[in-house]
Parts: sequence; C-alpha cells; structure tokens
Amino acid sequence: MRLLLRRPQLARPLTFSVPVNARFPHQSFTVRAFSSGGFLPKQEVQERVLSVVKNFEGVDVSKVSETAHFMNDLGLDSLDTVEIVMAFEDEFAIEIPDAEAEKIQTVEQAISYVASHPQAK
Amino acid sequence: SKSDVLHLYRNLLRNSKKFCNYNFREYFLRRTKEDFKCHKNESDPSKVQQLLEKARQDLVVISRQATLSQMYAADR
Repeated sequence: MRLLLRRPQLARPLTFSVPVNARFPHQSFTVRAFSSGGFLPKQEVQERVLSVVKNFEGVDVSKVSETAHFMNDLGLDSLDTVEIVMAFEDEFAIEIPDAEAEKIQTVEQAISYVASHPQAK
Repeated sequence: SKSDVLHLYRNLLRNSKKFCNYNFREYFLRRTKEDFKCHKNESDPSKVQQLLEKARQDLVVISRQATLSQMYAADR
C-alpha cells in the first residue's frame, strides 16, 4: 500500500525554476488571461456596428451615421429593429437580453452596449 | 401590446435560428419575417389576437423541433 501511494519517480522534479536572466531577457510583453474581460476597442466596435447596419436589407447606406436612429433616420420599423439587434448578436457573438434589446434604438446605443459587453468578440 | 409582439417575434427568430438543417432554419426565419411583416398594419383587434395566438402555438412547435433537431443531428 505504501508503495502505491508513493509518488512515481520522475526524470525531473515537478517544479523547477529558471534563472531570472534567462527568461525573456530583452522583451517586455503583456499577458492577457482568458478571464481578464476583454472589452473591444470602441473604434473597432463602431466600424463593425456600422458595417452591420449598412449591410442590413433596406437601409440607405448614405443615411447611416454614428448618431442615426433606426426608426426615425433609417426608415426601419420595430420588427426590423429587432432583426438588426439580432444581427449585432451574431456579429459580436453575444446574447442581448430582451430588456436590453428594447433599449437599443440608435447606432450610438448599439455601439456603447457592445463596447461595454465583456464577452463581445 | 407592442412589446409583447416584439418579444414574440424575437423569440420566434431565436428559436428558428437553432435549427441545424439549413433548409428548416432558413424556412422558419423567412416565414416568421414574412408573416409578421404581412400583418404589420393589422388594425382589427380580434384578428390581431388570433394571429398572436397562432404565433404562440408556432413558437412552441418551433422551439420543440429546433431542440429535437439538435439532439439527432447526423454527423456529416
């Protein structure tokens, strides 16, 4: 029994240290953990949101701007607004709850929602 | 009310999207969009209630079948 519990002999110890100067001597680098919550840069969000809106069926590309209102400026109806919000979900691989989705009525609101969403990709 | 209708519409689209099979998925998305847009100017309250009831029943069917389609997806 004692024999079974004993840790098997390894060729090298389980942990080992590297001399400090041997580790990446010259470069500094940033480590980004998966859990760090990567907010997308606002610029990128803006570009991608605008391209989604421009590619949406029935939208006049020339009227699309950062401040455009889906219904008042782009001539969409409330059903289209639901669809366009779902298009944002697809684009950024997020799920927007109904309560939040109802509040997104302008391009600007969409950008700020996505930019503040930690899981947006 | 308006937000109930939009809620129903969103749910129908969400569940339609879950179908694995392209044909089913696109069919339900297209039908949902067409049916809602076709009646968007409906003013008769009893007709609206009737359509909403139909849509609620469809939602039950679609969500069930979408889930089933994921359970028995063929490996291809």
